[in-house]
Amino acid sequence: MQTQKTGGILMKEINDFVAQFNATLILDESQIVKNRNRYYLLSKNLKQQIPKGFFYAGEYLGAVKGTSFFPSFILLAKIAQTKANKIMVDKKTSWLFICGRDIFRQGIVKENNPKKGDHTLVINEKNECLGFGKIMLNLRGVPDSKEVAVKNILDLGDFLRREKRQPRRKQRSN
Amino acid sequence: MNSDLDTVVSRLESLGIMLEKIPFLQDGYWIQKTKFSVGATAEYLLGLYSIQEAAAQIPATLFTELKNRIVLDSCASPGGKTVHLANLMSNTGVIFALEIKERKMFALTNQLERCHVKNSAVYNLDAREASKLNIKFDCALLDVPCSGNPTIDREWFNKRTSEDIHRNARRQRQILTEAVKVTKDDGEIVYATCSLEPEENEFNIDWAITALNLKVEPIYCHGQKGLTNIFGKQLDPTIKNCKRIWPENTQGFFVCKLKKQAAS
Repeated sequence: MQTQKTGGILMKEINDFVAQFNATLILDESQIVKNRNRYYLLSKNLKQQIPKGFFYAGEYLGAVKGTSFFPSFILLAKIAQTKANKIMVDKKTSWLFICGRDIFRQGIVKENNPKKGDHTLVINEKNECLGFGKIMLNLRGVPDSKEVAVKNILDLGDFLRREKRQPRRKQRSN
Repeated sequence: MNSDLDTVVSRLESLGIMLEKIPFLQDGYWIQKTKFSVGATAEYLLGLYSIQEAAAQIPATLFTELKNRIVLDSCASPGGKTVHLANLMSNTGVIFALEIKERKMFALTNQLERCHVKNSAVYNLDAREASKLNIKFDCALLDVPCSGNPTIDREWFNKRTSEDIHRNARRQRQILTEAVKVTKDDGEIVYATCSLEPEENEFNIDWAITALNLKVEPIYCHGQKGLTNIFGKQLDPTIKNCKRIWPENTQGFFVCKLKKQAAS
Protein backbone atom coordinates (compact mmCIF):
# COMPACT_ATOMS: atom_id res chain seq x y z
CA MET A 1 0.00 0.00 0.00
CA GLN A 2 1.40 3.38 -0.93
CA THR A 3 0.62 6.72 0.54
CA GLN A 4 1.98 9.65 -1.34
CA LYS A 5 1.62 13.33 -2.00
CA THR A 6 -0.32 14.02 -5.12
CA GLY A 7 1.50 16.97 -6.64
CA GLY A 8 -0.72 18.81 -9.11
CA ILE A 9 -2.19 15.74 -10.77
CA LEU A 10 -5.08 15.19 -8.44
CA MET A 11 -6.10 18.81 -8.34
CA LYS A 12 -6.34 18.64 -12.09
CA GLU A 13 -8.60 15.62 -11.84
CA ILE A 14 -10.75 17.27 -9.19
CA ASN A 15 -10.73 20.63 -10.93
CA ASP A 16 -11.69 19.02 -14.22
CA PHE A 17 -14.53 17.22 -12.52
CA VAL A 18 -15.72 20.36 -10.71
CA ALA A 19 -15.49 22.38 -13.92
CA GLN A 20 -18.19 20.18 -15.45
CA PHE A 21 -20.57 21.94 -13.04
CA ASN A 22 -19.29 25.40 -14.08
CA ALA A 23 -17.81 25.78 -10.61
CA THR A 24 -14.48 26.21 -8.86
CA LEU A 25 -13.66 24.46 -5.62
CA ILE A 26 -10.79 25.65 -3.47
CA LEU A 27 -9.12 22.86 -1.55
CA ASP A 28 -5.74 22.93 0.17
CA GLU A 29 -3.77 20.70 -2.14
CA SER A 30 -1.08 20.12 0.45
CA GLN A 31 -3.67 18.35 2.56
CA ILE A 32 -4.77 15.95 -0.16
CA VAL A 33 -3.29 12.49 -0.03
CA LYS A 34 -3.47 9.66 -2.53
CA ASN A 35 -3.74 6.10 -1.32
CA ARG A 36 -3.87 3.51 -4.09
CA ASN A 37 -6.36 5.05 -6.52
CA ARG A 38 -8.31 6.92 -3.85
CA TYR A 39 -7.97 10.51 -2.70
CA TYR A 40 -8.47 11.93 0.77
CA LEU A 41 -8.56 15.41 2.24
CA LEU A 42 -6.91 15.39 5.65
CA SER A 43 -7.05 18.05 8.33
CA LYS A 44 -3.64 19.33 9.44
CA ASN A 45 -4.05 17.50 12.72
CA LEU A 46 -4.86 14.24 11.00
CA LYS A 47 -2.07 14.58 8.49
CA GLN A 48 0.50 15.14 11.23
CA GLN A 49 -0.64 12.23 13.33
CA ILE A 50 -1.50 9.31 11.11
CA PRO A 51 1.16 6.83 10.07
CA LYS A 52 1.42 5.44 6.57
CA GLY A 53 -0.51 2.40 5.48
CA PHE A 54 -4.02 3.63 6.18
CA PHE A 55 -6.97 2.19 4.30
CA TYR A 56 -9.18 5.29 4.58
CA ALA A 57 -8.61 8.65 6.25
CA GLY A 58 -10.19 12.05 6.71
CA GLU A 59 -12.64 13.04 4.01
CA TYR A 60 -12.80 10.70 1.06
CA LEU A 61 -12.93 12.74 -2.14
CA GLY A 62 -13.12 10.16 -4.86
CA ALA A 63 -11.24 7.61 -6.90
CA VAL A 64 -9.67 7.43 -10.32
CA LYS A 65 -10.39 4.32 -12.36
CA GLY A 66 -8.71 4.34 -15.72
CA THR A 67 -9.25 7.84 -17.06
CA SER A 68 -12.44 8.50 -15.12
CA PHE A 69 -12.84 10.26 -11.81
CA PHE A 70 -15.54 8.88 -9.48
CA PRO A 71 -16.48 11.47 -6.85
CA SER A 72 -17.53 10.74 -3.30
CA PHE A 73 -20.69 12.20 -1.82
CA ILE A 74 -18.46 14.24 0.46
CA LEU A 75 -16.94 15.94 -2.58
CA LEU A 76 -20.35 16.49 -4.16
CA ALA A 77 -21.57 18.13 -0.94
CA LYS A 78 -18.55 20.45 -1.06
CA ILE A 79 -19.26 21.38 -4.68
CA ALA A 80 -22.90 22.02 -3.73
CA GLN A 81 -21.69 24.80 -1.43
CA THR A 82 -20.29 26.69 -4.45
CA LYS A 83 -22.12 28.39 -7.31
CA ALA A 84 -22.19 25.15 -9.26
CA ASN A 85 -24.95 24.09 -11.67
CA LYS A 86 -27.80 22.92 -9.50
CA ILE A 87 -31.34 21.86 -9.93
CA MET A 88 -33.69 21.69 -6.98
CA VAL A 89 -36.27 18.95 -7.18
CA ASP A 90 -39.53 18.33 -5.36
CA LYS A 91 -40.03 15.67 -2.69
CA LYS A 92 -41.35 12.94 -4.97
CA THR A 93 -38.65 13.53 -7.57
CA SER A 94 -35.98 13.49 -4.82
CA TRP A 95 -37.10 10.04 -3.82
CA LEU A 96 -37.29 8.74 -7.39
CA PHE A 97 -33.83 10.14 -8.08
CA ILE A 98 -32.39 8.37 -5.03
CA CYS A 99 -33.99 5.21 -6.39
CA GLY A 100 -31.91 5.63 -9.54
CA ARG A 101 -34.47 7.31 -11.80
CA ASP A 102 -33.89 10.14 -14.25
CA ILE A 103 -35.57 13.51 -13.74
CA PHE A 104 -38.36 15.09 -15.79
CA ARG A 105 -38.94 18.83 -16.10
CA GLN A 106 -42.09 18.75 -13.98
CA GLY A 107 -40.12 17.62 -10.91
CA ILE A 108 -37.70 20.55 -11.02
CA VAL A 109 -38.74 23.42 -8.74
CA LYS A 110 -35.69 25.64 -9.20
CA GLU A 111 -32.61 25.75 -11.42
CA ASN A 112 -29.81 28.16 -12.17
CA ASN A 113 -30.11 27.73 -15.93
CA PRO A 114 -27.63 24.98 -16.64
CA LYS A 115 -27.30 24.24 -20.35
CA LYS A 116 -27.94 21.07 -22.27
CA GLY A 117 -24.91 18.81 -22.00
CA ASP A 118 -23.75 20.30 -18.67
CA HIS A 119 -23.42 18.33 -15.49
CA THR A 120 -25.62 19.45 -12.64
CA LEU A 121 -25.92 18.67 -8.96
CA VAL A 122 -29.34 17.55 -7.84
CA ILE A 123 -30.49 19.01 -4.54
CA ASN A 124 -33.67 18.59 -2.53
CA GLU A 125 -35.80 21.39 -1.15
CA LYS A 126 -33.63 21.47 1.97
CA ASN A 127 -30.55 22.21 -0.15
CA GLU A 128 -29.04 18.78 0.47
CA CYS A 129 -27.08 17.21 -2.35
CA LEU A 130 -28.61 13.96 -3.59
CA GLY A 131 -26.18 13.28 -6.41
CA PHE A 132 -25.58 14.55 -9.91
CA GLY A 133 -26.67 14.09 -13.48
CA LYS A 134 -26.39 15.37 -17.01
CA ILE A 135 -28.74 17.95 -18.49
CA MET A 136 -30.45 16.41 -21.49
CA LEU A 137 -32.45 19.42 -22.71
CA ASN A 138 -32.58 23.15 -22.17
CA LEU A 139 -34.66 23.49 -19.03
CA ARG A 140 -36.22 26.85 -19.70
CA GLY A 141 -39.14 26.94 -22.10
CA VAL A 142 -40.03 23.25 -21.97
CA PRO A 143 -42.33 23.06 -18.95
CA ASP A 144 -44.16 19.82 -19.75
CA SER A 145 -41.69 17.90 -21.84
CA LYS A 146 -42.06 14.15 -21.55
CA GLU A 147 -38.39 13.70 -22.33
CA VAL A 148 -35.82 13.11 -19.62
CA ALA A 149 -34.49 16.49 -18.43
CA VAL A 150 -31.62 15.24 -16.26
CA LYS A 151 -30.04 11.85 -16.67
CA ASN A 152 -29.07 10.28 -13.36
CA ILE A 153 -25.33 9.62 -13.12
CA LEU A 154 -24.87 9.12 -9.38
CA ASP A 155 -27.34 9.30 -6.51
CA LEU A 156 -27.30 8.60 -2.77
CA GLY A 157 -28.96 5.23 -3.27
CA ASP A 158 -25.52 4.11 -4.38
CA PHE A 159 -24.66 3.55 -0.70
CA LEU A 160 -27.20 0.72 -0.68
CA ARG A 161 -26.38 -0.59 -4.15
CA ARG A 162 -22.69 -0.80 -3.27
CA GLU A 163 -23.48 -3.10 -0.38
CA LYS A 164 -25.50 -5.36 -2.64
CA ARG A 165 -22.59 -5.51 -5.05
CA GLN A 166 -20.33 -6.82 -2.31
CA PRO A 167 -19.96 -10.61 -2.27
CA ARG A 168 -21.92 -12.03 0.65
CA ARG A 169 -20.44 -14.48 3.09
CA LYS A 170 -22.07 -16.41 5.85
CA GLN A 171 -20.92 -14.79 9.06
CA ARG A 172 -20.91 -15.76 12.68
CA SER A 173 -22.67 -13.44 15.03
CA ASN A 174 -19.54 -12.07 16.67
CA MET B 1 -24.58 13.51 12.80
CA ASN B 2 -24.63 16.54 10.47
CA SER B 3 -27.90 17.92 11.82
CA ASP B 4 -29.53 18.70 15.14
CA LEU B 5 -31.52 15.99 16.84
CA ASP B 6 -34.90 17.77 16.86
CA THR B 7 -34.72 18.39 13.13
CA VAL B 8 -33.94 14.75 12.40
CA VAL B 9 -36.73 13.54 14.67
CA SER B 10 -39.30 15.84 13.08
CA ARG B 11 -38.17 14.84 9.58
CA LEU B 12 -38.56 11.17 10.39
CA GLU B 13 -41.95 11.73 12.02
CA SER B 14 -43.08 13.62 8.94
CA LEU B 15 -42.33 10.45 6.96
CA GLY B 16 -44.77 8.56 9.19
CA ILE B 17 -42.10 6.87 11.30
CA MET B 18 -43.17 6.52 14.94
CA LEU B 19 -40.28 7.06 17.34
CA GLU B 20 -39.95 6.55 21.06
CA LYS B 21 -37.18 8.16 23.07
CA ILE B 22 -34.90 5.63 24.72
CA PRO B 23 -34.96 6.75 28.36
CA PHE B 24 -31.38 5.77 29.15
CA LEU B 25 -29.75 7.39 26.10
CA GLN B 26 -29.28 11.04 25.35
CA ASP B 27 -29.73 10.78 21.58
CA GLY B 28 -31.28 7.37 20.96
CA TYR B 29 -34.77 6.51 19.73
CA TRP B 30 -36.55 3.24 19.22
CA ILE B 31 -38.44 2.81 15.97
CA GLN B 32 -41.97 1.94 17.10
CA LYS B 33 -43.60 1.73 13.71
CA THR B 34 -42.53 2.27 10.16
CA LYS B 35 -43.89 1.16 6.81
CA PHE B 36 -40.47 1.04 5.18
CA SER B 37 -36.85 0.40 6.02
CA VAL B 38 -35.30 3.19 8.08
CA GLY B 39 -32.02 2.18 6.49
CA ALA B 40 -33.18 3.43 3.10
CA THR B 41 -34.53 6.92 3.72
CA ALA B 42 -32.97 10.01 2.17
CA GLU B 43 -32.20 11.19 5.71
CA TYR B 44 -30.27 8.01 6.44
CA LEU B 45 -28.36 8.17 3.16
CA LEU B 46 -27.53 11.81 3.91
CA GLY B 47 -25.91 10.67 7.14
CA LEU B 48 -28.36 12.50 9.41
CA TYR B 49 -28.75 9.46 11.67
CA SER B 50 -27.42 5.97 12.14
CA ILE B 51 -29.00 2.70 13.16
CA GLN B 52 -27.60 0.91 16.16
CA GLU B 53 -28.95 -1.42 18.81
CA ALA B 54 -29.78 0.51 22.00
CA ALA B 55 -27.26 -1.10 24.37
CA ALA B 56 -24.52 -0.74 21.75
CA GLN B 57 -25.01 3.02 21.91
CA ILE B 58 -23.75 3.13 25.49
CA PRO B 59 -19.97 2.46 25.25
CA ALA B 60 -18.92 5.56 23.27
CA THR B 61 -20.71 7.81 25.78
CA LEU B 62 -18.70 6.59 28.77
CA PHE B 63 -15.43 8.44 28.16
CA THR B 64 -14.89 11.44 30.40
CA GLU B 65 -13.78 13.71 27.54
CA LEU B 66 -13.49 12.98 23.84
CA LYS B 67 -13.04 16.28 22.06
CA ASN B 68 -9.54 16.77 20.64
CA ARG B 69 -8.46 13.37 21.97
CA ILE B 70 -6.60 10.57 20.24
CA VAL B 71 -8.95 7.62 20.33
CA LEU B 72 -8.49 3.97 19.43
CA ASP B 73 -11.50 2.07 18.11
CA SER B 74 -9.99 -1.35 18.12
CA CYS B 75 -12.54 -3.59 16.37
CA ALA B 76 -14.34 -0.98 14.34
CA SER B 77 -16.44 -2.58 11.61
CA PRO B 78 -19.25 -2.02 10.70
CA GLY B 79 -18.53 1.47 12.04
CA GLY B 80 -21.58 2.32 14.15
CA LYS B 81 -19.45 3.14 17.18
CA THR B 82 -16.81 4.90 15.08
CA VAL B 83 -19.45 7.27 13.73
CA HIS B 84 -20.86 7.70 17.24
CA LEU B 85 -17.38 8.60 18.54
CA ALA B 86 -16.85 11.10 15.69
CA ASN B 87 -20.18 12.69 16.54
CA LEU B 88 -19.33 12.96 20.24
CA MET B 89 -15.92 14.39 19.28
CA SER B 90 -17.54 16.90 16.89
CA ASN B 91 -15.04 15.68 14.30
CA THR B 92 -12.09 16.95 16.39
CA GLY B 93 -9.06 14.91 17.46
CA VAL B 94 -8.32 11.63 15.71
CA ILE B 95 -10.00 8.23 15.74
CA PHE B 96 -7.81 5.32 14.75
CA ALA B 97 -10.25 2.64 13.63
CA LEU B 98 -8.81 -0.86 13.30
CA GLU B 99 -10.42 -3.79 11.56
CA ILE B 100 -8.73 -7.11 11.06
CA LYS B 101 -10.94 -8.46 8.28
CA GLU B 102 -10.45 -6.85 4.90
CA ARG B 103 -13.93 -7.84 3.72
CA LYS B 104 -15.41 -5.83 6.61
CA MET B 105 -13.53 -2.66 5.69
CA PHE B 106 -16.08 -1.82 3.03
CA ALA B 107 -19.00 -1.51 5.46
CA LEU B 108 -16.87 0.59 7.79
CA THR B 109 -15.67 3.08 5.18
CA ASN B 110 -19.14 3.26 3.63
CA GLN B 111 -20.48 4.43 7.01
CA LEU B 112 -17.74 7.01 7.37
CA GLU B 113 -18.43 8.47 3.93
CA ARG B 114 -22.20 8.43 4.46
CA CYS B 115 -21.88 10.28 7.77
CA HIS B 116 -19.19 12.71 6.51
CA VAL B 117 -16.78 11.71 9.26
CA LYS B 118 -13.62 13.83 9.00
CA ASN B 119 -11.44 12.77 11.89
CA SER B 120 -10.84 9.06 11.37
CA ALA B 121 -8.04 6.96 9.98
CA VAL B 122 -8.87 3.34 9.21
CA TYR B 123 -6.30 0.56 9.23
CA ASN B 124 -6.67 -3.04 8.15
CA LEU B 125 -4.96 -4.20 11.32
CA ASP B 126 -5.48 -6.72 14.09
CA ALA B 127 -6.29 -4.98 17.39
CA ARG B 128 -3.65 -7.24 18.95
CA GLU B 129 -1.06 -5.41 16.84
CA ALA B 130 -2.18 -1.84 17.59
CA SER B 131 1.33 -0.96 18.81
CA LYS B 132 2.51 -1.17 15.18
CA LEU B 133 0.96 2.29 14.75
CA ASN B 134 3.37 3.68 17.32
CA ILE B 135 0.71 5.98 18.80
CA LYS B 136 -0.21 6.63 22.41
CA PHE B 137 -3.96 6.96 22.86
CA ASP B 138 -5.96 9.02 25.32
CA CYS B 139 -8.93 6.69 25.04
CA ALA B 140 -9.52 3.20 23.70
CA LEU B 141 -12.85 1.66 22.82
CA LEU B 142 -12.66 -2.12 22.84
CA ASP B 143 -15.87 -3.48 21.39
CA VAL B 144 -14.29 -6.88 21.28
CA PRO B 145 -15.33 -9.87 19.16
CA CYS B 146 -17.45 -12.10 21.39
CA SER B 147 -19.75 -15.08 21.46
CA GLY B 148 -22.87 -12.95 21.14
CA ASN B 149 -26.05 -13.93 22.91
CA PRO B 150 -29.32 -15.69 22.13
CA THR B 151 -31.30 -12.46 21.83
CA ILE B 152 -29.40 -11.48 18.69
CA ASP B 153 -28.90 -14.97 17.32
CA ARG B 154 -31.68 -17.54 17.49
CA GLU B 155 -29.27 -20.30 16.55
CA TRP B 156 -26.93 -19.35 19.36
CA PHE B 157 -27.46 -22.50 21.45
CA ASN B 158 -26.93 -24.73 18.43
CA LYS B 159 -23.82 -22.89 17.26
CA ARG B 160 -21.83 -22.06 20.36
CA THR B 161 -19.63 -24.38 22.38
CA SER B 162 -17.83 -23.72 25.63
CA GLU B 163 -14.58 -23.93 23.66
CA ASP B 164 -15.79 -20.94 21.54
CA ILE B 165 -16.33 -18.95 24.69
CA HIS B 166 -12.89 -19.78 26.09
CA ARG B 167 -11.24 -19.02 22.74
CA ASN B 168 -13.00 -15.65 22.57
CA ALA B 169 -12.05 -14.90 26.17
CA ARG B 170 -8.37 -15.56 25.38
CA ARG B 171 -8.52 -13.30 22.34
CA GLN B 172 -10.26 -10.57 24.37
CA ARG B 173 -7.44 -10.69 26.96
CA GLN B 174 -4.90 -10.30 24.16
CA ILE B 175 -6.77 -7.25 22.82
CA LEU B 176 -6.97 -5.78 26.33
CA THR B 177 -3.24 -6.36 26.86
CA GLU B 178 -2.38 -4.58 23.62
CA ALA B 179 -4.77 -1.71 24.40
CA VAL B 180 -3.07 -1.15 27.75
CA LYS B 181 0.28 -1.09 25.98
CA VAL B 182 -0.81 1.70 23.61
CA THR B 183 -2.87 3.79 26.04
CA LYS B 184 -1.35 6.73 27.89
CA ASP B 185 -1.02 6.60 31.67
CA ASP B 186 -4.36 7.68 33.16
CA GLY B 187 -5.96 6.96 29.79
CA GLU B 188 -9.41 5.39 29.66
CA ILE B 189 -10.37 2.06 28.15
CA VAL B 190 -14.00 1.16 27.58
CA TYR B 191 -14.46 -2.60 27.24
CA ALA B 192 -17.72 -3.93 25.80
CA THR B 193 -19.15 -7.22 24.61
CA CYS B 194 -22.58 -8.36 23.49
CA SER B 195 -21.96 -11.61 25.34
CA LEU B 196 -23.47 -12.59 28.66
CA GLU B 197 -20.79 -15.17 29.42
CA PRO B 198 -18.82 -14.33 32.61
CA GLU B 199 -15.63 -15.68 31.00
CA GLU B 200 -15.81 -12.90 28.41
CA ASN B 201 -16.84 -10.25 30.91
CA GLU B 202 -16.31 -10.24 34.69
CA PHE B 203 -13.62 -12.95 34.64
CA ASN B 204 -11.65 -11.04 32.01
CA ILE B 205 -11.92 -7.81 33.96
CA ASP B 206 -10.92 -9.55 37.20
CA TRP B 207 -7.86 -10.86 35.37
CA ALA B 208 -7.09 -7.39 33.91
CA ILE B 209 -7.21 -5.71 37.33
CA THR B 210 -4.37 -7.90 38.51
CA ALA B 211 -2.43 -8.69 35.35
CA LEU B 212 -2.66 -5.26 33.69
CA ASN B 213 -2.96 -3.04 36.74
CA LEU B 214 -6.24 -1.54 35.56
CA LYS B 215 -8.77 0.19 37.76
CA VAL B 216 -12.50 -0.24 37.19
CA GLU B 217 -14.13 3.19 37.20
CA PRO B 218 -17.75 3.77 38.23
CA ILE B 219 -20.04 4.41 35.27
CA TYR B 220 -23.52 5.85 35.34
CA CYS B 221 -25.55 4.21 32.62
CA HIS B 222 -28.31 1.68 32.03
CA GLY B 223 -27.70 -1.80 33.40
CA GLN B 224 -27.14 -3.75 36.57
CA LYS B 225 -23.98 -4.12 38.63
CA GLY B 226 -21.34 -6.52 37.40
CA LEU B 227 -21.32 -9.86 39.16
CA THR B 228 -18.67 -10.30 41.85
CA ASN B 229 -19.39 -13.87 42.83
CA ILE B 230 -19.69 -16.30 39.96
CA PHE B 231 -19.60 -20.10 40.03
CA GLY B 232 -18.50 -19.83 43.68
CA LYS B 233 -15.54 -17.67 42.80
CA GLN B 234 -15.17 -14.31 44.54
CA LEU B 235 -13.98 -11.58 42.17
CA ASP B 236 -12.49 -8.13 42.82
CA PRO B 237 -15.21 -6.03 44.51
CA THR B 238 -14.70 -3.11 42.08
CA ILE B 239 -16.21 -5.28 39.34
CA LYS B 240 -19.56 -4.13 40.65
CA ASN B 241 -18.71 -0.90 38.79
CA CYS B 242 -19.16 -2.77 35.50
CA LYS B 243 -22.62 -2.89 33.94
CA ARG B 244 -24.34 -6.05 32.87
CA ILE B 245 -27.33 -5.35 30.66
CA TRP B 246 -29.71 -8.26 30.73
CA PRO B 247 -31.83 -8.67 27.60
CA GLU B 248 -35.13 -6.94 28.14
CA ASN B 249 -35.63 -3.86 26.00
CA THR B 250 -32.16 -4.34 24.55
CA GLN B 251 -29.86 -7.14 23.60
CA GLY B 252 -27.64 -8.66 26.28
CA PHE B 253 -24.56 -6.52 26.84
CA PHE B 254 -21.65 -5.94 29.16
CA VAL B 255 -19.67 -2.72 29.47
CA CYS B 256 -17.12 -1.20 31.80
CA LYS B 257 -14.65 1.67 31.98
CA LEU B 258 -11.07 0.90 32.94
CA LYS B 259 -8.36 3.35 33.84
CA LYS B 260 -4.73 2.71 33.12
CA GLN B 261 -2.76 3.53 36.22
CA ALA B 262 0.67 5.07 35.94
CA ALA B 263 3.37 2.51 36.67
CA SER B 264 4.68 3.21 40.16
